[in-house]
Amino acid sequence: MIADILTGAVRSGTSVLFATQGELISERAGVINLGTEGAMLAGAFAGFATTVWTGSPWLGALAGGIGGMLLALLHAYLVISRGANQLATGLTLMFLGMGLTSFFGRKFVSESIVGFNPVPIPLLSDIPFVGPILFNHDPLTYVSFALVPLIGFLLFRTRLGVIIRASGEREDALFASGMNPKLVRYGAVLAGGFLAGLGGAQLSIAYTHSWVENMTAGRGIVAVALVIFAAWKPLRAAIGAWLFGAAQALQLTVQQQGYPISPYFLFMAPYLITLIALLAVEYRKRSRIPEGLGKVFTGSPGGAG
Amino acid sequence: MMRSDAGAMTTQAAAAAEPARTAGKTAGNMDRAGADASAVSGPTGAADKAEAAVAVVATGTGASAGAAPTGTASAPSRRGLAPRAKSALIQAGLILAPFAAFGVFLLVYGVSPIDLYVSMFKSAFGNRYGFGEVLIKATPILLTGLAAALPARAGMINVGGEGQLAIGALAATGAAVTLLAAAPAWLGIPAMLLAGALGGAVWAGITALLRVKGNMNETITSLLLNYVAFYTVGLFVHGPLKDPASFNWPFSPPIADALRLPVLTGSRLHMGIAVAVLLAAAIWWVLARTRIGFRVRVLGANAFAAERAGFRVSRMQVLVLLAAGAIAGVAGMIEIAGIEGRLRPTTGANYGYLGFLAAWMAWNHPLRLVATSFLLGMIAVAGNSLEMNSGLPSSSVHILMALVLIFLLAGGRIGRGRRA
Repeated sequence: MIADILTGAVRSGTSVLFATQGELISERAGVINLGTEGAMLAGAFAGFATTVWTGSPWLGALAGGIGGMLLALLHAYLVISRGANQLATGLTLMFLGMGLTSFFGRKFVSESIVGFNPVPIPLLSDIPFVGPILFNHDPLTYVSFALVPLIGFLLFRTRLGVIIRASGEREDALFASGMNPKLVRYGAVLAGGFLAGLGGAQLSIAYTHSWVENMTAGRGIVAVALVIFAAWKPLRAAIGAWLFGAAQALQLTVQQQGYPISPYFLFMAPYLITLIALLAVEYRKRSRIPEGLGKVFTGSPGGAG
Repeated sequence: MMRSDAGAMTTQAAAAAEPARTAGKTAGNMDRAGADASAVSGPTGAADKAEAAVAVVATGTGASAGAAPTGTASAPSRRGLAPRAKSALIQAGLILAPFAAFGVFLLVYGVSPIDLYVSMFKSAFGNRYGFGEVLIKATPILLTGLAAALPARAGMINVGGEGQLAIGALAATGAAVTLLAAAPAWLGIPAMLLAGALGGAVWAGITALLRVKGNMNETITSLLLNYVAFYTVGLFVHGPLKDPASFNWPFSPPIADALRLPVLTGSRLHMGIAVAVLLAAAIWWVLARTRIGFRVRVLGANAFAAERAGFRVSRMQVLVLLAAGAIAGVAGMIEIAGIEGRLRPTTGANYGYLGFLAAWMAWNHPLRLVATSFLLGMIAVAGNSLEMNSGLPSSSVHILMALVLIFLLAGGRIGRGRRA
């Protein structure tokens, strides 16, 4: 049963994982994007629709990423070029994502696709206990395994990473060294949107194999919260995403086993666990927020808000 | 580690940008009603009036540097009448543009926008019933809007109106079907109102506690708690509050007829709208005319100054959030006692978010909020007529709503109007 829950944690946590990694890049560059929820929905829908039309889940995943990126582009324009409030813009995009996807998605509700299915990795998946948990998943999940160290490397071991972080900490410094912080932020927000869209696509193409209105059900918001919980560190964010996935898997397992617990307690568990995890981290020490991002919360209008 | 990397790049440019940023902060933190707080924050108090104009001009280099000098520079010119008229025109354009854009969207979809807008207008104003429907929709939007606007004036972002409304409805229904089942109207309705307000306040209290004790951002926690609230209502209507006579449908037993709000004949309009408008007026009065309101505005305009002035900041934040939650809870009670008569899993769904957007369109001004809630109520009613008259899914109303907001955001007025 524990193996079941852990497998489910990875399986249903992957979509959130993609979104957290994207949001992490964006927040490191100083832009918080609550529109991640909308971007995930856009990705889930674009990915599903493309898979229906072309039959290729890979094209679907690409389309999902692009769908998320388009919404993120709007966020970037409003926030970076027009100086609009970041949180308010994010919420607006969440609505736009909901509206557009349920508008165009109506026809797709009853469609079914083959999509991505678990591909066991030879040999590795035969390892007892660990094998099925980690090495019997859909291809996008393997991509997500590679993504986390990749983003860690990018942010902390490359020049580009320094530039991205500088735009979130001290844009003046970046400006003074001859770079355009706006451009860096655009790039980071777009990358974040792409990953959120990819996460949404993973949800619809690989996890549920279906399209349902509003199917992300707050996963994008959870992703934003998890990035804060993770103190803007990629691996911690990934662990948070799997924790969220585990809470969802627990819910399925408990229902299958027929324990007399109301399913509604279990439905709220992932959100409560996210909240408690956030609290635990905040309580221990105030995590160091990228300076430019801090302005969004404290209300300075500057570039960040 | 990160800081040292970035720090290595710091040059004099950073220092040079500092005064500009401070000026921007001052201008941005003020708003129209907050002008009299200028004692605290400096002389650029009402810069927001010029902001629509600013938005058109503002194309400065860094967004931070761009906003500040333009805001300061246009401050003197706004004393004339002409710029004011111009800014009014721009504002009107910003309100109308999204409808035009949505019209194009409709044309692509093969629906005539003119016909549709006419029928939308007719369904809202054509008769007493339609107009009543608009007011019915506007009521919870106005109340949850107040629940967002009040904390915003104190420098906090409450996106939890959705959950606070739901828990308010739950508490009101719970009280109505148990304790107040046989109560007369004069006792039952106020008691139910109190229960609703209490429920909403408790829910907002969680956010407040996490903010003050746990140092957690209230935007994130209130959003997450919305989902928890939704499932809490689900828990109750599937469990302890389920109507035994409902054949397994998830809803509570109906509340007693005596507890229903009086209705205007020929419509479904109940007295809830009066409660909402009175509350809006009261909050405007408190914010604009009283000592407490002044303190709230100072806190919102400059939390640092408030702390230095010896305000008990945490306590004020908790109280403001509790009040906001109570107002949203009242919205939940009104939905139950005025419209639904019983609690369903989806009672009041989306009103919280609509209220947040209405508040933000009204620049968190309680009286302007009455107008924007009415506008959003109209669009919400139009959503029904969209579905009936043109076969468009009612979700397209979300698109229209988002367009309205995007144009307002791009106009740049809002970002500085509310202090996020």
